[in-house]
Order: sequence, then structure tokens, then C-alpha cells
Amino acid sequence: MMRRVLYALAAISALVGLWGLYSRFAHGHQDTAYGSYVVWGLWVAMYLFFTGLAGGMFIFATLDYLFKVRMFARTGRLSLFLTLITLGAGLFHIWLDLGHEFRIWKVYLQPDFGSVMAQITWGYTLFGLLILVMLIMSFRPERFARWLRGLSAIGLVLAIFLSGGVGALLGVQAARPFWHVGLFPVQFPFFSLASAAALLLFIYGLFDDAANEHRSQLLWTLAILTVVLQVVKLYFLWADLSQSLYGGVPQNVAAVTTLLFGPYWWAFWFLQILLGGLVPIIILTQRRLATRPAWAALCGALVLLGFAVARANIVFPALSVPELEQLIGAFHDARLQFEYFPSPVEWAVSIGISGMAGLVFLLGRDLLPLTARHRPTVASSAS
Amino acid sequence: MNEEKVDVSRREVLTKIASTVFAGLVAPAVWPMTAGANEALPAPETAVPTLPVLPEPQPDEDPLLRMMRDLQRALQKPVDQRRWVMVIDLRKCVGCHACTIACVAENKLPPGVVYRPVLEEEIGTYPNVTRRFTPRPCMQCDNPPCVPVCPVDATWKRVDGIVVIDYEQCIGCRYCITACPYGARTFDFGATYTEGTPVGAGLVLGRQEAAEYELASNFEYGQPWSRHDEASPIGNTRKCHFCLHRIERGLLPQCVTTCIGRATFFGDANDPTSLVSELIARPNVVRLKEELGTEPKVYYLL
Repeated sequence: MMRRVLYALAAISALVGLWGLYSRFAHGHQDTAYGSYVVWGLWVAMYLFFTGLAGGMFIFATLDYLFKVRMFARTGRLSLFLTLITLGAGLFHIWLDLGHEFRIWKVYLQPDFGSVMAQITWGYTLFGLLILVMLIMSFRPERFARWLRGLSAIGLVLAIFLSGGVGALLGVQAARPFWHVGLFPVQFPFFSLASAAALLLFIYGLFDDAANEHRSQLLWTLAILTVVLQVVKLYFLWADLSQSLYGGVPQNVAAVTTLLFGPYWWAFWFLQILLGGLVPIIILTQRRLATRPAWAALCGALVLLGFAVARANIVFPALSVPELEQLIGAFHDARLQFEYFPSPVEWAVSIGISGMAGLVFLLGRDLLPLTARHRPTVASSAS
Repeated sequence: MNEEKVDVSRREVLTKIASTVFAGLVAPAVWPMTAGANEALPAPETAVPTLPVLPEPQPDEDPLLRMMRDLQRALQKPVDQRRWVMVIDLRKCVGCHACTIACVAENKLPPGVVYRPVLEEEIGTYPNVTRRFTPRPCMQCDNPPCVPVCPVDATWKRVDGIVVIDYEQCIGCRYCITACPYGARTFDFGATYTEGTPVGAGLVLGRQEAAEYELASNFEYGQPWSRHDEASPIGNTRKCHFCLHRIERGLLPQCVTTCIGRATFFGDANDPTSLVSELIARPNVVRLKEELGTEPKVYYLL
């Protein structure tokens, strides 16, 4: 029953996405809500979210292939599969965000490697190829054990640098004090790892066969990891926001104020902090609850929701502050606004890509021997 | 392609007519017009286009004439010896927005794309209140933060200091827009002013006829860019380029010629005799956000 519901949900989401994609390709960017001031919208936030997940998920794959952690034995293949799916979802988002998406080849053939964007585009491409090769090899682990170990080491470095690189993409911009924080590239790998731990909690909680035979211990380990990383994330957030407010740089203070008390204050306080942070922390610190699959899955989903909102809260507030205060009223047009809420097409595309990612996961889980105990059934607790 | 050639030739004709009309309008008192001023200039190292014929210098002449003379002198030099700057006298700006609109017309800017908005602010409290108007073109920074972030080298600073965009190279990632501390770059979403307006067949103001004008080419960077099939500049970042296509033909940027208060000045800062060189040497000169180290080439007189 649960399996059918999940398939139906993913398929409906994918269908919604098809409408969004039609609009995107038929009308370009005309049906989007971002403009020339809030120049990056939901798709960029989702790119940060999904590629962050990919980076973190790969690190979990290395716990099996590189570090040989017993608790994570034989979970590597599923982690690699999830890495590939989330990376694809992230890159699909950012590809659609380009004004001339079919000129993407220029980044490969005519790149300026001084640009962080060119660096991470190449990095993600190499990363994707490496994951693909590793995934193929992972179906013959006894034959490619040494290769998997070596590639895991290379991939680990790539995953950390790429996660950090996304932070650097924003952090190098002195024009945006809210982003121009030295620790930005340092924070992002932690965020990636935390969101990946949450995704594994969700998957292992939902699917009995996805985890190895140590499912209960695995859930508890992931719960502890998620809690610790969430606390670290909250600490980073506190450090960023408090320093910005104490520092008093007007543009920075304005961005922080927008985040905390702006039109989408509820997204920060309720979705990111309460539902995405404090509630899961409280539940996951209770071993009795954290090891129950349904609770683990729920907490995983909540943390993921919180991270998706957090990514949006990194992008939008910084862009919602005028570079020059009087720009607000200088020239009136719908694209020259400092307020932003995603358009139906943007939502549709993101829901669609998420649905497609979910569909690929479900199909992969059913058709490929991805899991440690390959049995295509849904956990009784979840159904 | 033929259509583009027709556009170019029409453009050249219009440019010549406009130059003649302009010269006739601003200098009726300085006849006879001669070509002697140009003959005295040293031979150019590079091909110089036919430049507008200017009257002899006169005391108290319109600053536009002096700036055009400065411009023509600069065009005789190799490109790398020119350094274009703009000076805006905020005491003279009355906030008429003529420069903004002239820029929109010159570059045929679509909705949502603006190169030179005028920022308005109210200063003081009653009864001591005043308004300040700050036109904000691209600052053409000497250290432009928008340039190094581009992943495909689609934007760069020319040797004469103007920061340009190669529309055919730009992938539309908008990273450069986020990097600009002045909000001087906007994105072309492909919108048109005439979309959704009444058709009004046969009427000049109807959608069909108006759209013909709207979809016709502009001539940024000296080549025609028509708005069709999502082709560039749709999907690209766009910005002020000091009307490069005009200055290379001896015409001042459109915002300069249109300024009713003669509040905007343009010229070659490498020429010590130019008007802008005199103006930027004054003590009441400021530049926006100098603390960022961008070294803008737009100066404001307070």
C-alpha cells in the first residue's frame, strides 16, 4: 500500500513538473517570479539543497567503502545511488535557471577557471562521473574493492571541496555582506553532512530493506549524528547572525532583519528553527523514539524540510537588500522588486524534479540490487 | 541577414542626420561651420569613422560642444590611451529622468531592464528639506567585481575602461548581477511593452505596429540585436556601456546629450585638457562605495 502511495505521489509530482518544464521551455523565464534584484530564486535554493545532499551522501558512502565502518557495512551502494540522484536533481535545477541553458557547453570548452562557478561546474561534472563509475563498480564489490577504496578517497576530497565551493560561490561576493563571511565555505560541508544524515534517517526509517541488519543501531547512530550536526548548524547560525547584528554594517543588518522579521519570518522561525531544528533534536535524542522507524523517518523529513528552507534563507534575504537604498523606487517594474515569492511555475519545476528524483529512487530500489538486504518491500511500521 | 544590413544602413543614415540636426540646433550662433578643427588633429593610428562636423570653439559655448570636441580628440588616439569617465553634477540634476528614458529609447530596453535609473532621496526635515537626485549608470569600475565571477569570460573591461558583455557568450547565470555592488546589471527576461495591449489593427499605437518598433534591432556594441526567438540579448545580463556604439562614432552617450540641466559630463580622463579632467580634479568629487575598492569611473559633484 505504502509503496503504491509513494509511487503515486512521485508520479503526480513528476506530472506537475512536466507542466512547469513545458512553461520553462516554451516561455523561457517569463513565468518566473525572480527579477533583476532578487536575481536568484527557488531553483538556486534547491540547487544548493540537492547538491549539498549529494556531497553529504557521498561522505556516508565512504563510511562503507573507504573507512569500512561496520555499522555502515553494505550501505555504500544505496548511498552512491542517492548521491547520483540528488546531484542530478541539483544540477537540473541550476541548468534550468540559466538564461541560455543550451550554452552550458561554454563552461566546459571556454571556461574561466578564475570563476568559482566554473570551478564547481567542472568539479560537479567530475564528481558525477566518479559516482557513476563507482556505482557501476559497486555491483561487483569483490572485484573492484581496491578501486572503490581509491575512488572513495578522491571523491571524499571532491565532496568536501564542492560542498565548501558552493559556500565560496556566495562567500566571495564582497557586494553582499550577508554572504561575505570567511566561514561560509567551512559551514557548508557540515550542512551537507547533516542533510544527508537526515535523508538516510528518512530512507532507513521508511524502508526496512534499505538498511543493513543493524537497522536499529543504524537509526540511533544517524539520530545522534543528525542531532550533533544540527547543533553545530545552529551554532554557526547564531555566530553568523549575532556577529552581523553586533557588527552593524547596514546592508548586513538589513539582511538579517529581513530573515528574522521580514515577510517570511515564519519560514525561519517555524519551518527552519522549530520544525526543522528543535523538534527533531528533541525527538532524536530519545533513543526509544529515534530507533522507531516511523519517528526516524518523520524526523528525517522534518530536518530535510528545515534544510530546504535554510538554503532559501541563505539566498533570498541577501538579495532582498538594495545595493543602493533608493533603487527601490527608482524604476518601477515587476522584475525590479526586492520582494520575492516563487511563481507557480517555479514551484511546479521544483516539485517535479523532486518527484522525478523520488521516482528514480523507487524504481532503482525495486529493479536494482541496491540495498544490503535486497527485498523490495516497505517496512511494516511505515505502512 | 539582409534585414540586418538594411537596419545598419538605416542606422548610419539616421546617425548622420541626427549629428547634423544636433550641430545645427546647439550652435546657430557660431557659423560658419568648418572642417578645420578636425584637420588640425594628428592622424589617427586606427580607422576613425566620419565624425560630426563641429563649430569653432567659442567662449561660453554649450558644454556639449566642448565634450564632443574632447571626444573627437580622444578618438584620434589609440584605444588603449583613452580612459572614458562620466561626471554627474548632483547640484544641477533636477530629477527629470530624461536620461533614463533616453537610454531606454537608445538601447531599446525592454521592461525590467534599466541602465540608468535616477535614485531619489529626501534630505532633512521640514522646514529644511531638499531632494537629491542621483543618476546611476554602470560605474565602469577599474576593479569590476562583476568580471572575475563570470564562468565563461563573457564580460570584461576593455582597454579604454568600459566594462562590456558579449551577449553571444553570456550563459545567463546572473552571477555578475549578484556581484555588482551598485545594482547596475539587469537581466533581460524577454518581456515586451506591447504584450497584452490591444491589437488596434491599422493604428499606430496598436500592438502590431508598436511591436514592430519594439522588436526591431538595437545597436549595442555596434551591431544589430533584434528581439526574436529568445535570441540574445534575451536571456542575458545587460548593462550600461556608456553608449559605446555612439562614442565610437563621435557621439556622446545618449544620457549626456539628453540632460536638460547639462548635469552629466563625459570624456577622456587621460586628456588633461578635457572638461571631465577639470571636473574630477575638484575637491567636491565623490564616487559611490569607494570603500569597496572598485575604483568607479563615474564621479559625482556635490
